[in-house]
Amino acid sequence: MSGKAESGKKRDFILVVVCLAIALVGWLFLHFTAADGIKIQVRVSGTLTAEYSLSQSGTYEIHGAGGGTNLLVISGGEAWLTEASCPDKLCVGMGKISRGGQSIICLPNQVVVEVVGDESEGSVDFITGR
Amino acid sequence: MTGCTGTKKSIDQSLLTDTVSSIENASGSENAEGQGREAQNQAVHNKELQDQKIQSSGIQSAEIPSATREIFAMDTYMTITGYGEQCEEAVEAAVAEVERLDALLSVGSEESEIGQINLTGSGHLSEETAMMVEKSLELYQDTKGAFDITIYPMMALWGFTTGNFRVPEEEEIAETLKLVDCGSLIYDSGTRLLTLGERQGIDLGAIAKGFTSNRLMEIFEEYDLLSGVVSLGGNVQCYGTKTDGSLWRCGIQNPLNPESGNVVGIVQVSDCAVITSGGYERYFTDEATGKTYHHILDPSTGISADSDLLSVTIVSPDGMLADGLSTACFILGLEKATDLWREKSDSFDMVLVTTDEKIYVTEPLTSCFSSKKEVNIISGDK
Repeated sequence: MSGKAESGKKRDFILVVVCLAIALVGWLFLHFTAADGIKIQVRVSGTLTAEYSLSQSGTYEIHGAGGGTNLLVISGGEAWLTEASCPDKLCVGMGKISRGGQSIICLPNQVVVEVVGDESEGSVDFITGR
Repeated sequence: MTGCTGTKKSIDQSLLTDTVSSIENASGSENAEGQGREAQNQAVHNKELQDQKIQSSGIQSAEIPSATREIFAMDTYMTITGYGEQCEEAVEAAVAEVERLDALLSVGSEESEIGQINLTGSGHLSEETAMMVEKSLELYQDTKGAFDITIYPMMALWGFTTGNFRVPEEEEIAETLKLVDCGSLIYDSGTRLLTLGERQGIDLGAIAKGFTSNRLMEIFEEYDLLSGVVSLGGNVQCYGTKTDGSLWRCGIQNPLNPESGNVVGIVQVSDCAVITSGGYERYFTDEATGKTYHHILDPSTGISADSDLLSVTIVSPDGMLADGLSTACFILGLEKATDLWREKSDSFDMVLVTTDEKIYVTEPLTSCFSSKKEVNIISGDK
């Protein structure tokens, strides 16, 4: 009798593990495929100079027009600028971007950092008054 | 205005009425974001129109050529995108036009037409400048002085023209305020001769970008494009619908928290300009007092406009009107802006965000405006 109960418990345990494993794989799949299409484009004076996946964290130096620099940080599905050589540093104050149509612009260095490839419902084609 | 769709000359009105009945059955579902049914219907209209136009021009929608250029001009960042067989030529022509107008209008340059007039006190205007000055004088009347191009000496006093910001003394403001008076300009529309009053100066900056985006729509038409959109430093104007026939989704920057990168709402439009003015765009903080001053100066006080509005978005087929009115309505405040809209509701619509964090939308625009926040409707009747 006790042997039967033991193997029943074991089967339950295996079932729980299998369920968890399926859930984990599903979550990983959704998590990475959803964010994978979204990219951060860096353009200087209208020319594409770099493109990064928004799902991959990293810190990158941008070489702007006229020798200026900006520091781009991508982390946690968001991108922002932390440092800039320009005098006004408006770009550093422009906050974090993660959705289609959002961009950060540094006029003195002619740098544009933009979210591309976001086809979700809440995305926009343009932002007015930015 | 009739809401979210301007009328492009190429849209055949008879075609519109033909397709209405079939469309109303076709699109019954509202999407999750709560976008109005009318906007969808309009989108379907436009899609059928677009499809017909695409068929008649002999290319498939999947392979519509497109061209985009980014430029830094008029002290801002611009993108110009066109779709159609002659998109490359159209976008090149658009860039050339922006650069030409920039040279013509720059107040920073003594060689520009405006620079010369400010220097010498009078001058014969070119055709383009005349159009802008005439519209400015009209807006001055319509807005009861809230829109005033003679604000230039005051902008200079505060350092908004150079970036060397400072808070002027009260006497300086009072003295300069005497020069801010559009009524002292003498303009002869026949000879296009503009004469300024003693020590006056003008700045067309509050409508120049709107004039420019209007011009770019004309260029897109000349090159027979199917679709196009320009963003001149956050002033958006679109030509036609998107190439799939859907409306352009234009987010309005959240003025409550501009650093969050979030939008306060989304307007869906075709053939329209969507132009936003807000005090959060350009400002400086006085280090001595910690007080913040923004660039939209009230011509009646000479100080940053201090109305009950955080931002004004104007939607209109006329980019120049939208540009001028966004500034003027920001100065006027909720009540007076509402009065102005009731007088001129056939020419524009608006989205207002107030300092108490409420959103107001004029009634015709409600069907194409969506927001996660509560929306107050401004109706045509009091």
